Amino acid sequence: MRLNRLDLTRYGRFKDAQITMPKPQGDASDVTLIYGPNEAGKSTAFTAYLEVLFGMKARDHPYDFRFKRSDLLVGAELEFPTHGPMVVQRNGKKTQSLLDDQGRPIDDTFLSAALHGLGRDDYVERFSLNDEGLRQGGARIAAAQGDLGQLLHAGVSGLTTIAATLDQMTARADRFHKKGGRGTSLKVAKDRLTEIGQQLRAARLTPDRDRALVAAKDKAQAVFDAADSTLGTARLREAACQAAQVWFDRTEDIRLIDMKLAEFPEGPDLRKGAAEAVARLVAIMSEKSLRMTEAAENLEKLTKIIDDNPVDPLADVLADELAQLDRHLIDGAPLLARAATAASDLGKRIKDRDELGAQIDQILTALDMADVPVASSVLTSRELEDLALAAQAVVTCQNDAVTTADAVAFAQDQQGDAPAEPQDLSHLQTTWDAWPAVADISATEATAASETARLANAVAGLPATWKDLIDAGLPARETLADVSRSLATTVAELATAQAESEKQGTTYALAQAKRQADEATPAAIDATATAQTRRARDATWAAHRNGLSTETATAFETAMHVDDDAQASFAAGADARGQLATARRDEAAALVLRDSAQDRLDRATETHREVTAQSAALASALGLAPETSPTAFTERHTALSQAAEIAAKSSNATAGFNAQSARRSAALADMALASKAVGIECADSDLPSRIQAALTLQESVRQTWARWTRAQETITALKVKADHATSQKDAADQTLAALTHALPLAGRTAADIINALPTLRNLGQLQAEHDKLSLRIEALENAIAQLDGSAQRIMAMSGEGYDPDVSSLTIIEQARSRVTSAERTTLRRTEAQERHADATNARKLAESAITIAQDELADWFKGQGAEDATPTARIALLSERDVLRNARNTHETTRDSARAAVKTDLFEDELGVLPDASRAAAVQQLLDDAQEARDLALGAHREAIRVHQEAFDADDRSDLATEQATILEEIRAEAQHAAVARLGVLAAKGALRRLASERRTTMLRDVENAFVAITAPAWSSVDVWSQSEGEKLVGVQPDGSVVPVEMMSTGTMGQLYFALRVAGYRTFARDFGPLPMILDDIMETFDDVRAKAALQLCSDIGRSGQAIIFTHHAHLVDLARDTISGVNIVEMPR
Amino acid sequence: MRLIVSADTHLGSPIRSAALRNPLLGEGLKQASLDTFRGIVDLAISEDADALVLAGDIFDNDFPDLKSRAFLITQLARAADAGVSSVLIRGNHDALIDHAVHGDLGLDIHLLHKGNPSVEISGVMFHGLSFDKNHVADSFLPDYPAPVAGRTNVGLMHTSLGGSPGHDPYAPCSEQDLFAHGYDIWCLGHIHMPFERTSGSMVAIMPGIPQPRHYGERFGGSVAVVTLGDGAPQVARRDVGHLRFVEAKLDLTECVDQSDVLDVIGAALKDAQDSVHVTAARLQVITARHTAEDIHALATELLEGIDRVFLDKVKASPPPNLNNDHVDDLSRLMREEAQEAGFQQASAEVLEELRGVLPPTVRDVLSADVLTELLDDAINEVSLSLHGMDVE
Repeated sequence: MRLNRLDLTRYGRFKDAQITMPKPQGDASDVTLIYGPNEAGKSTAFTAYLEVLFGMKARDHPYDFRFKRSDLLVGAELEFPTHGPMVVQRNGKKTQSLLDDQGRPIDDTFLSAALHGLGRDDYVERFSLNDEGLRQGGARIAAAQGDLGQLLHAGVSGLTTIAATLDQMTARADRFHKKGGRGTSLKVAKDRLTEIGQQLRAARLTPDRDRALVAAKDKAQAVFDAADSTLGTARLREAACQAAQVWFDRTEDIRLIDMKLAEFPEGPDLRKGAAEAVARLVAIMSEKSLRMTEAAENLEKLTKIIDDNPVDPLADVLADELAQLDRHLIDGAPLLARAATAASDLGKRIKDRDELGAQIDQILTALDMADVPVASSVLTSRELEDLALAAQAVVTCQNDAVTTADAVAFAQDQQGDAPAEPQDLSHLQTTWDAWPAVADISATEATAASETARLANAVAGLPATWKDLIDAGLPARETLADVSRSLATTVAELATAQAESEKQGTTYALAQAKRQADEATPAAIDATATAQTRRARDATWAAHRNGLSTETATAFETAMHVDDDAQASFAAGADARGQLATARRDEAAALVLRDSAQDRLDRATETHREVTAQSAALASALGLAPETSPTAFTERHTALSQAAEIAAKSSNATAGFNAQSARRSAALADMALASKAVGIECADSDLPSRIQAALTLQESVRQTWARWTRAQETITALKVKADHATSQKDAADQTLAALTHALPLAGRTAADIINALPTLRNLGQLQAEHDKLSLRIEALENAIAQLDGSAQRIMAMSGEGYDPDVSSLTIIEQARSRVTSAERTTLRRTEAQERHADATNARKLAESAITIAQDELADWFKGQGAEDATPTARIALLSERDVLRNARNTHETTRDSARAAVKTDLFEDELGVLPDASRAAAVQQLLDDAQEARDLALGAHREAIRVHQEAFDADDRSDLATEQATILEEIRAEAQHAAVARLGVLAAKGALRRLASERRTTMLRDVENAFVAITAPAWSSVDVWSQSEGEKLVGVQPDGSVVPVEMMSTGTMGQLYFALRVAGYRTFARDFGPLPMILDDIMETFDDVRAKAALQLCSDIGRSGQAIIFTHHAHLVDLARDTISGVNIVEMPR
Repeated sequence: MRLIVSADTHLGSPIRSAALRNPLLGEGLKQASLDTFRGIVDLAISEDADALVLAGDIFDNDFPDLKSRAFLITQLARAADAGVSSVLIRGNHDALIDHAVHGDLGLDIHLLHKGNPSVEISGVMFHGLSFDKNHVADSFLPDYPAPVAGRTNVGLMHTSLGGSPGHDPYAPCSEQDLFAHGYDIWCLGHIHMPFERTSGSMVAIMPGIPQPRHYGERFGGSVAVVTLGDGAPQVARRDVGHLRFVEAKLDLTECVDQSDVLDVIGAALKDAQDSVHVTAARLQVITARHTAEDIHALATELLEGIDRVFLDKVKASPPPNLNNDHVDDLSRLMREEAQEAGFQQASAEVLEELRGVLPPTVRDVLSADVLTELLDDAINEVSLSLHGMDVE
């Protein structure tokens, strides 16, 4: 196949463009070099060519920016070996997109056969090459390590990743499983499966496991029961042993106690608490005697103290004077406390006050206010604060006014002239937004045409009145079926009814004849007839008896004979009468059946007539002859229904097309009007692009205008701010002037005032301190005068004369000492008097208590011996006796209780072996052993229960079962993948060996020629080495040295790849016929020598088939002209 | 009377799909068989059924656990409390409900077996026989009681019916023989694909597995609701499964670029989406240049934005009508190579080596029977990988 011309009818930026590839003249190589600068559309042209061959991309087409995808159209003139040149076109439809030069659909299989079944990607792989592909191909075939099969495969197929593919597949299989591999996914999965299996076994309570656990539990229970019984027996033995020992020991104790009791006095047991009571009473008597002695001694000492502390008569008046003096305060402190320092303090305070006065004078002079009274010069802190704020406000407002004025000036300098104001394109935008929806009418147009054609097809076999028939309304399909079915039924019924009628008519006729024949038989006469003959005979007899004539006699004779015959026949005719009756019944039945059959025939005839009329009416409604059989109705009905449906669709499609055309025109008119309103005027065809440009730029214009407007607003705002700052400054000046108006500061500037403020604050402080000192000096002088007055009154009370040389403080302190001494004396005397009364009373109480104790003591000892002993010794003796008595009782109780608590036989056994020092230990050992055995059995039993319960309560491990199943599924899938990969590699390697063997004869020379041509003089030939792993391609240099492919440089490798592709092309062309080879700037990085060699190889391709070279390098054009004889140079269309 | 008919619940048997590698799905479906059974009991109660009929294989021999038996008893007791009696027979997987070993199941739970083949519930006779061992090669039918005259007779049988090639027969029995026995309804078990057969007013119901465990059981997922009244029994189906398996076929041959490929895969996955069920999708992809691995990766990425759909497996195969071996040397020569005796020997060895290291339960995946199929896949895989990689 050859590409003669490529038509870029509506594609990318192209419209009605063509690229022609002229046929070579004579023996010239078929090479076309298409030149165009960058962005000239070479890639577009290549894609267009592919889409001609294989169809357009379904979605997101890269070249539908100028024309909508539905409008895209490309074409080509292709020359086929069998058909010659042929023009084909390709549009963007999903089906029937391949068209001939008249726009008629062509079956894609036509092209597919010419392309030998190659798909788009296959074609690109085999019949295109660009610079990147050349470099990548060179790099990738290095991985083949010179393997001849792989290299030839790359040349033939254009696929360069066979080595990498096989490596990847091997790696994939190895990742799943490799002998000795530790981290393979299979190993990891199997390890995990083992873990899961163990955990599941532990978690599952299988029936076997349950049986084993239950058996273990039962066994442990039995062991425990036995051990528990043994322990019970051991415990009883141990208790009996202990009881016997108790009995034995207590009996001995009782015997010893009885011996001791014989030595104690008689008498009842002491009452409870006797010992304590006696001890208490003895202690009371002793203590009370002691108290009486102490009271006598105390009374003597207290009498002496009272006598030694008499009363001071002046103490009260002196105390009043001192209290009055203590109430007088100075500076918050008592007068006396401050009096000591007042004299010296007074002098220092006066000196300080004078110094402050001097400082105030100096300040007033410095402020140039010496003549102003101090009171007028001193300002309050509030006044000073207001003054400071007002002065500072004046300074701040001045600065603001200057700053804002500067900002206004700067902004006005920066603002340039006003740009163009944007227009309102909203209406234009609205009309533009509506445009895409109606722009493309090709689809509806095609639909309308297609439906029209379908309609023509559909009505081809119908009468000319088909439309009238449809308009008149087609009968329902069910009606047709009903009538058809009814007609068939009625025809059948009619035939049946006719046959039945004939049959019943015949039957009736036969029955009638039979009845008539039977009636004709004399024996068939019935009783009625004989009664009639008898009545006739009797009547003739009566007539004859009355008339007695010959006629009456004859008539009577005749009637008598008839009657006799009738009577005789009747008597002999029972059978005949039965037969006649049957004949009559049969006749009547046959008559009914005949009439019924006739009715049925009449009804069937009527029904048939009606249904035939319906059928005729339906036939007419369907445009058929009235006599047409209903069997033809369905086909005609279907044809008419389809025609109706297609007619409706056709009508809808046409209406849709007309409506869309109208909408498109209206939208275009709207756009034109909207455009005109904003100054865009052009031809309708250019309108969309002009509108798109205007709408695209409107945002930029709008932003520029917005920026300028915002700057203008900023200047205005700055001006407002500057005016505001000026007015603020004037207001601050007025405020300051108002504050300084009444002060000796009037007329001074704000800065002067701010500078004077610290001095004014200092002046205020100094004047305040001066006033405070003056007040303090006056208070000190008053205190000293009061102190002296008090001293004079004290001296007068004591009757002594006042001595001015004695300090008033000394006099007052002496008086205070006297008062204090009198207070202490009074206190001691009073206390002694109170204690004297107490001691007297205590002595009386002690005497009474001793008497009561002696009476109680006698009562406690009533009836007891040992009267001569002291109460203490006596009670001790009696108490010891009672202790022995109690011990004896306790021993008896203990002994009895011990024996009662154990089994008698065991007790007797144990008592029998006593005394035996080792018996208790031996019995205890038996008990310990039994206890230990029972504990062990109990533990084992509980453990068995726990284990069984735990098995029931084990966590649900559905997660593990699920994971196990998932892992097995993954292994299943991965095992398949791994097997497929291993088998694939095995098959591919075998196939590549076969390829090497199959193609080496035909391809190797082509590879060598191409390789040497492009690399000369560096390489002289190629050779093939046979190795154990297969045949290997090597390069041979002019000096005979051999270089394996993988040792070649990157550049050489690329050239080898090119040589392989050239050889592959020639092979394909030989085997199947040539297809165009597209070479896209493959010589971009070649120097002139290499480029020339590459062009020579392109020339080789051209000799086998067709080479189309795209380039944007002008020098390659000249180089191609020099290198390839007859090369076609074509420029990309503009 | 209304019956809920189910069978082959295989309690404790997990779902087998690589889709469950997704942790959320795996966690959610780890007890799928139990959850589904619970749902069946809920359905019986909500439908006010008179009886729940379980036609065998309630448990699974591969997952024996008495805790599952406790679960069964709890659920059936719950049904009994709500007035729903249970009638069941043992299938070839049901050693856990061997009454001789483990005792009765409880009040209103009727296990039918040779010693107790019939029970009457609300005037309807139920007849059934249980498997006493894992495999029974002879028909049970002759041992079934005769129908009780004047009553509706319901039969329970666990049977492989006429059987299918490659599968052992289990209590085999023809459909004609079943209907000839005279019962009004047969509730069957063992075959996991659901179906119904009728003969006059008689009906035989194979309820199918209520929760499909793998792709091969994708037609299951329901139970039958049978209403008995005047005339023939009415049979309806109710979905009870939590996960369904679907097959999604897609064709990538028309795709020009990756965007097209993603669109086609995405559309197929969205088609597989169901508003109620979680879906495990198996993609059967026709493509000339994508490996299953590639498609798996793309689909996994797309599924991040599609709720309730997970990937079970991807199978990629070339277009069936692609026949360009005459221009594709490698494919042609690989097929020729595959016919060579030496190659087949080497292939069998490769397969055997891999098979030998697999866990025994999955070795069937690489049995000698599948060698031809694997070889075909292998040749396709080389071609798909080669073209796919070169496109990159």
